[in-house]
Amino acid sequence: MESRKNFFSNWIAGALGFLLFLVCSFSAVQTVSAAVEVSATLNATSFPLDRAAALTITVTGSRSAKPQLPQVEGLRFHQRGQSTQMNFVNGTYSASVASVFLVEAFHAGQFVIPAIEVATSDGTVMTEPVKFEVTDSQTAVRQAQNQPGSATSRLRSGEADKVAFLRVTSTKEQSYIGEIVPIQIKVYFRSGIKANLNSLPQLQAEGFVLQQLERQPDQTQEIINNSQYSVLTWNSALSGIKEGTHSVSIEIAATLLLPEQRSNPFGGQGLGSDPFFNNFFSSYREKEVQVANPVREMTVLPLPLKGKPDDFSGAIGEFYLDVTASPLELAPGDPITLKMTVRGQGNFDRVQAPKLSTEKGWKTYTPSSEFLKDGEAGQGKKVFEQALVLKDQSLREIPAVEFSYFDPVETTYKTLSVDAIPIKLKGVISETVEPLPLKQEVVQQSKATQQIETKSVVPPLADLAPLQLDIGDTDRELTPLFTKKWFQLLAGFLVLALLGTILFKVRATRYANNPRLQREQAMKHLLLVRLQEVEQTLANNDSRGFLASCRRAIQEQFGLIWETEAGAITYTDLQQQLASDSPLLPLFKAADESAYGGQELSSGQMQEFADALKKELEGLV
Amino acid sequence: MKRCLNRYYIFFCCLFLFVAQFVSAAEESRQDQFQDAVSSYSQGDYQTAIKSFESLLKDEISAPLFYNLANSYAQSSQSGRAILNYERALRLNPSDSDIRGNLELLRRDQGLFQEEQSITQRFVSFLGLNQWLAIASGSFLLFAIILLLPATIISKQTSRYGFAAVCLLLTILSGSGAAGQYQHWHDGVVVAEDARIRVSPFESAASIGTIQQGRLVQPGKVHNDYVLIVDEAGRSGWLKSDSFEAIATLVVSR
Repeated sequence: MESRKNFFSNWIAGALGFLLFLVCSFSAVQTVSAAVEVSATLNATSFPLDRAAALTITVTGSRSAKPQLPQVEGLRFHQRGQSTQMNFVNGTYSASVASVFLVEAFHAGQFVIPAIEVATSDGTVMTEPVKFEVTDSQTAVRQAQNQPGSATSRLRSGEADKVAFLRVTSTKEQSYIGEIVPIQIKVYFRSGIKANLNSLPQLQAEGFVLQQLERQPDQTQEIINNSQYSVLTWNSALSGIKEGTHSVSIEIAATLLLPEQRSNPFGGQGLGSDPFFNNFFSSYREKEVQVANPVREMTVLPLPLKGKPDDFSGAIGEFYLDVTASPLELAPGDPITLKMTVRGQGNFDRVQAPKLSTEKGWKTYTPSSEFLKDGEAGQGKKVFEQALVLKDQSLREIPAVEFSYFDPVETTYKTLSVDAIPIKLKGVISETVEPLPLKQEVVQQSKATQQIETKSVVPPLADLAPLQLDIGDTDRELTPLFTKKWFQLLAGFLVLALLGTILFKVRATRYANNPRLQREQAMKHLLLVRLQEVEQTLANNDSRGFLASCRRAIQEQFGLIWETEAGAITYTDLQQQLASDSPLLPLFKAADESAYGGQELSSGQMQEFADALKKELEGLV
Repeated sequence: MKRCLNRYYIFFCCLFLFVAQFVSAAEESRQDQFQDAVSSYSQGDYQTAIKSFESLLKDEISAPLFYNLANSYAQSSQSGRAILNYERALRLNPSDSDIRGNLELLRRDQGLFQEEQSITQRFVSFLGLNQWLAIASGSFLLFAIILLLPATIISKQTSRYGFAAVCLLLTILSGSGAAGQYQHWHDGVVVAEDARIRVSPFESAASIGTIQQGRLVQPGKVHNDYVLIVDEAGRSGWLKSDSFEAIATLVVSR
């Protein structure tokens, strides 16, 4: 009966739900049929010829739409899909259908897509016309800007089937040891391939070193065999460090982001190869590659020994020398700054400061140097500044400055020379000789000879403090104190003493702050004293003294444990706290009886009690 | 028995007199040699003075000996060796104004200017390594004694810990001074003219630049005849081991 009732309830509820659905559907249909709207929009009003634009035709108020695209000269439409959206908000139902088309142009210019007829389930509707502009291809513009002559480039052997390859261009195959050989490294990535560099180009060769590369290479576009490539360019130089013929290769590690293969609905060279579509619709996979150029042989020659100048420092290349000096009018002792500039092309790291043809009569200081790069690798100038002080005041010119280098083109050593520079001295210097500074007694000792000798001696440093005339405290070695045995022993002793003190202090503090430890110590101490007393009375067969000692020992130990006055502990307290079979109870009772009743014990009993007392009280500690 | 003791007594007295005589004679000889060297210097014969001072230094070292030798080298235009020996003299007697003054004068004359010292560097160079160590160990000894003394001597805890804290502070300060000095204990001085720093420890390696004699260098690892050094300007490279001499690694053989 009950189940029958449920069945009818469920049936009524289902019927009511169905009716509600019908009512809603009817009202929705009414709403849709009431307002059908259509719009056509282009995602860009202007786009280049090598790109495409997305045309979206949206129909609202209908659940289906079939746009009939017109034929437009110079345009082609590609359907990319359709999406339907339905909403039911506050009892109002709405639907919209969006159709997406890609618009491809065949030439640049102004275009108009006329009104598009869209067939819907509720009739036919028309869109508004769409105007837009197609401009020239971006790639063509870029090529025209960047690589006007690159269209003639050709792929070399082995490069055609690669998405990335590397080329090294050098001016020569033979060089001298230490010579700078300018090279250009170019890494090509086929257009559309995205790549991340994992390293800078690395030299794979023994006998050569590669100059440090710029972290940011030049980036250009090139067309080779009608294919577009993105090109990274580094300008650098190689330098031979080992004589002989060496295999040279340069490689770079990169991660290529290759587009996943996808079906091309248009076939051939249509939109499927367009970068725009790849960017929008393709996914990528990563592939790590080592891009290297073909190995090439390069020879490093030794420098000729014949004709090598004495002041040759290893400079190889083509150099020029300029020298200036200031001031040219000076007082005695004034320093002159000699500025020597070596410019040109070559291995500037081996270019040392040019030298005076003679340093006689001059005091020279170590020159400072600065290299200023100018253009390609190995090109620039190195500026040296050297301080000079005139010692011989009879001189009237700065000697000629010379610089030697090896010219690899003419294969000879060359010496550049700049003529002597005249100088003008202000004032006349009297050539007096100062006596050597020395303490009085020594001066007196050698007085006779000093007057003769000092005339011929010109001390370079007349202002030095005089000699010391006592040998002073002598030692056998110039070593730090801590290397000496006695110092180590003293230091070790001090450290141990300090550690000992600290340990002692720590223990004392620990003891002072720990009542339990103090109690244990006190118990141990008192027990030791009482047991000695007990042993003593036992040895004397003094029954009363023995029992009194035992009683006191028991009271003291339990007094410390229970933290009460030892003398106040009675037999009753012990009975309450100890087990009934504790051997201390009869002992304490006997002691009480002895104290108040004069009871005596035999030696055997005393020994028995003594053993029991010792065992029990030691157990407590 | 008494006669026997008397004999021993006479024997030891004779032995003592003999040894004392011998030592005195040796000392006298050294003094003579020292005075000869000084005379040679005063006459401008610096090479003879150098030989004599170096000969004396083979037996024993002292700050005046190094100083006089440095003066002799300075007068004979061997600035590298002069600076080396001034530095050695300073290690033994850092407070000697003559040594400091001559070293500064020579450096200035040779264009070996040094960067101005920071306050910390000035504090460290105020005393030598051994002096700092002596102060550090002395103050540490005092620190330990104060802590070890029984309470009956220093009854007031605040006084005890106050003294101990002062001693500990002195130990730390002088220990820091010693550590600062020891950082440069193994420094060397370039003694060769036109010494070159190279990128690798080989004769054929590229040169980073020259290093002037008299410059201080901090030596590091060694490879064959080359030592990896860092100079005062912070340049690092390989220098031929015979181009410089360590200031402190010096033990005389007797």
